[in-house]
Amino acid sequence: MKHGYQETRKIHTIIYHVFTVIFALVMLYPLIWMVLGSFKNSNEILRNAAKLLPDPWITTNYSTGWAGFAGYGFGTFFKNSFIIAGISTIGAVISSAIVGYGFARCRFALKGFWFGCMLVAMMLPFQMIMIPQYILFNKMGWVGSFLPIIVPQWFGQGFFIFLNVQFIKGIPSDLDEAATIDGCSIYGIFPRIILPLIKPSLVTSAIFSFMWRWDDFLAPLIYLNDPASYPVSYALKMFSDPTAGSDWGAMFAMATLSLIPIFIIFLAFQRYLVEGIASTGIKG
Amino acid sequence: MKKILSVLLIALLATSMVFAGGNKEKAAAADDGKVTLNIYWWGNQIRNDVTQKAIDLYMSEHPDIVIKAEFADWSGYWDRLSATAAGGNMPDIVQMDYSYLNQYQQNGLLADLNPFFEDGTIDTTNIPESIIASGSIDGHCYALSLGSNAPMMVYDPAVVEEAGVTIPDQLTIEELYEIGNTIYEKTGVSTYYDGGINMMQIVARTYGSHLFDELAAGDDTAMLKHWNYVKWFADAPSAISPDLLSEKNPDIVETKPIADGTTWNDFSFSNQFIAIVNAAGRPLVITMYPTTEDATNQPMYLKPSQFFSIAETSKHKKEAAEFIDWFTNSVEANEILMGERGIPVNTEVAAAIKPLVDENTQAIFDYIDAVGAIATPIDAPDPAGKGEIEAIGKTTAEELRYGYLTVEEATEDYVSRSNSILSV
Amino acid sequence: MRSLVIRTRRYILANKKPQPGKTVIMRKQNKSFAQKLNTQGVAGYVFTSLFIIGFLAFMIIPMAMSFGFAFTRYNILSPPKFNGLDNFKQMFTNDPVFWQSFKATMYYVVFSVPMRLIMALLIALLLVRKSKASGLYRALFYLPSIVGSSVAIAILWKRMFASDGVINSLLQAIGINCEIAWLGRTDTAIWTLIILAVWQFGSSMLIFLSGLKQIPIALYEVADIEGAGPFQRFFKITLPMLTPTVFFNLINQLINGFMAFTQSYIITQGKPRNSTLFYTVYMYQNSFTYNKMGYGCAMAWFMILIVGTLTLILFKTQNKWVYYES
Repeated sequence: MKHGYQETRKIHTIIYHVFTVIFALVMLYPLIWMVLGSFKNSNEILRNAAKLLPDPWITTNYSTGWAGFAGYGFGTFFKNSFIIAGISTIGAVISSAIVGYGFARCRFALKGFWFGCMLVAMMLPFQMIMIPQYILFNKMGWVGSFLPIIVPQWFGQGFFIFLNVQFIKGIPSDLDEAATIDGCSIYGIFPRIILPLIKPSLVTSAIFSFMWRWDDFLAPLIYLNDPASYPVSYALKMFSDPTAGSDWGAMFAMATLSLIPIFIIFLAFQRYLVEGIASTGIKG
Repeated sequence: MKKILSVLLIALLATSMVFAGGNKEKAAAADDGKVTLNIYWWGNQIRNDVTQKAIDLYMSEHPDIVIKAEFADWSGYWDRLSATAAGGNMPDIVQMDYSYLNQYQQNGLLADLNPFFEDGTIDTTNIPESIIASGSIDGHCYALSLGSNAPMMVYDPAVVEEAGVTIPDQLTIEELYEIGNTIYEKTGVSTYYDGGINMMQIVARTYGSHLFDELAAGDDTAMLKHWNYVKWFADAPSAISPDLLSEKNPDIVETKPIADGTTWNDFSFSNQFIAIVNAAGRPLVITMYPTTEDATNQPMYLKPSQFFSIAETSKHKKEAAEFIDWFTNSVEANEILMGERGIPVNTEVAAAIKPLVDENTQAIFDYIDAVGAIATPIDAPDPAGKGEIEAIGKTTAEELRYGYLTVEEATEDYVSRSNSILSV
Repeated sequence: MRSLVIRTRRYILANKKPQPGKTVIMRKQNKSFAQKLNTQGVAGYVFTSLFIIGFLAFMIIPMAMSFGFAFTRYNILSPPKFNGLDNFKQMFTNDPVFWQSFKATMYYVVFSVPMRLIMALLIALLLVRKSKASGLYRALFYLPSIVGSSVAIAILWKRMFASDGVINSLLQAIGINCEIAWLGRTDTAIWTLIILAVWQFGSSMLIFLSGLKQIPIALYEVADIEGAGPFQRFFKITLPMLTPTVFFNLINQLINGFMAFTQSYIITQGKPRNSTLFYTVYMYQNSFTYNKMGYGCAMAWFMILIVGTLTLILFKTQNKWVYYES
């Protein structure tokens, strides 16, 4: 009996892994295609798009791509991306957690109004406020620096605030009350009780924030004017020009490289999400 | 919701007052007596590289000038340029396109270059009058062309040869139809007919008219002719199917149906020739846009590929003009640029550069020469509604090809919609 | 910090039912400054002040201006001219493309949002299983989402769905003779974009995963003792406990769906016959390509009205199906 049970379990496990791997591979095909494409000849990428393997394998895409343009290399662009995405993410995660706690746990005047403002701000495409915002930051003298891109991130981001609100609401309020009885103020509850329990949403915020800031090219496009301050996302666009032709090989190579930091951030943070149901819950 | 709206309205009133005052600061920093010029262009890696190199050379020859380069991709360029225009801090020298020239000039954002021509800051002795005219509005030049360009048809010589036909320097549309069918019978390769705005302009020009004049007047002569041709070609045996055409999307160089040999011909402007050849990966031949059988006027024209303009807000117009003069008229600058922005407009410079460029670029040089010999003046700079009219044209061509509209319906719909856009 | 959590935990175990009114009593007493600071009404503003300051400093003016532009003719290059409700009149009565883009976006949202959420939830449940490889799997399934809608993906997607592309070859391999130009047909082109959206389910998956992680293990222990099967466990525990996350994902994906831009802009360019022309793309074209910023802003605020109403409805129905611990 026992033997049979273990046998079925084993089969289940095997089926689980086989299914997951196959499905993952299907999911990954486009990505593999892109990475392999970065080793193809520029014209090969489009003409033999159905072929997965490069013929011949070349690595010059990486060297020409890395050299960048007009004397500004991708080393510079990567550095800028790290500064923008890094500082923005730290700010967005911290500020959104604080604001999220306020919205989730406190009852205060006009709360619904401010929450509504936040949602409306989430629904308004950036392109539509781009021009007025440019005028605003120009008056403040911020245009041409990272400030217009980074500073607003430090004042809470709607998406992450909302995410934290949902998570905090999922935490039993018994905990807060218990802490209050133990003499803990509202300000003490946040770091001592809430913050440790919303780690998953902080981690999720960090992963997303980094990725979105890393990929965003519109704000850098508008606010930066010195090519030495361009981030990778924006520099990538410069490989293609609808009239003058495009260097797809170099673009694929640099696009592939630009995925690595986001992926590393994901790997570094995702282990906080790893434990799964089996070990979760309020730790006691 | 009501609450939100009322607060927003109050805020709006407050801000409109704040913004009533203009923005006049932001001077180009002139440290230690040096003049700083900002220059902005769109382009790809090659253009960014060569332009920066030329700028470096200029700065080494003019130690009192600092030129700060900024560059972007095509669509990003216009987004940001409009933002800087709204913010009152446009770069000193901006690259300009024929379709945007009118709007920027009409809003007083571009400096008049005529004074610089008159005092010799920009030397125009070797620049043809037609080139100056192409950047002029009401007799004042606001943009100096950096290179010449012309509409073109490209075709695959191998397929043409296999079918045993010859393509003259300029086909008529009727000949194109016949040749297309012959090629299809012999080789199975389809024909593409341009249903877009370039062909509309060509059709109008064949009898000495201009597309936007007609549309502004609600005249449907050219459009009736044009949509008839589009429908005729769509129903031809040789036609590429509308599904496939939409999938391949001839608007994008890399996926043009000629790239993978679905069609033997395609249409564009000569500055895209090299990109198309690269995408196709086989030799292609450049030839003129077709005209009509009953044409009374040569429709071919030369078009500025792009311009340099000086911002009206610039504090250093004179220095900017000096740079543009060097960029256009000096052989040493153009030996670096190598006709990347189109055939140099200074005829002597063009002659000096020609032996140095590669085979495909030489084909463009020759083509521009040939067109230049027969060209009639270009249409006036595009009106502000061009973008939308062009977009509607693309959809209308699709509706016609898929058979959702008849020629008469397409013409009426298109002319009336274009007319209402232009009459705003 | 740990000891406080432990003490709190003990408190909960000792008092299964929290006594109501405890916090209320505190509020009635005479308050010192510190006590005042410790009321929810004040603390709420202290915590949310960051957002409120940022909103007032960077957002309110641009937002108000874009709202104002909706009632003007504005080409960015010259000052706006007030034209009343003309933009809205034009939009509703005289612009077929507006309705085409509205329809395309609605279609996209109606299909892509539920499909993406279901996909994300299923994979999240699959991956929450504890196994040595689960970290790797998570990464593999998340990868498609990090490539976003780059030009590379645009090229690939076009090639995959080309009439001679991978998808048709696959269909032929399993015996379906198929030479459909997926991107060239009005009825199929939008589906290539929906599939792309579903393919990139990673972000929703991640949020579901972190939501699953928050479910107290004790609940499952109780369920095990009571002998609940996997389906009961899912419908009685997992799903109800996950509803705050589902709610968040739903609202968020709804907003994202309406704001979808790049797919349509770089892959299909609205072709064929505007069947894939997204609302935001048409709005952007109007604002920047056609120099009708005023019209674009009118479109933007109409979209906010639609999305805002839908969001409001979801918030109102929240009590009926979303389960909050607190």
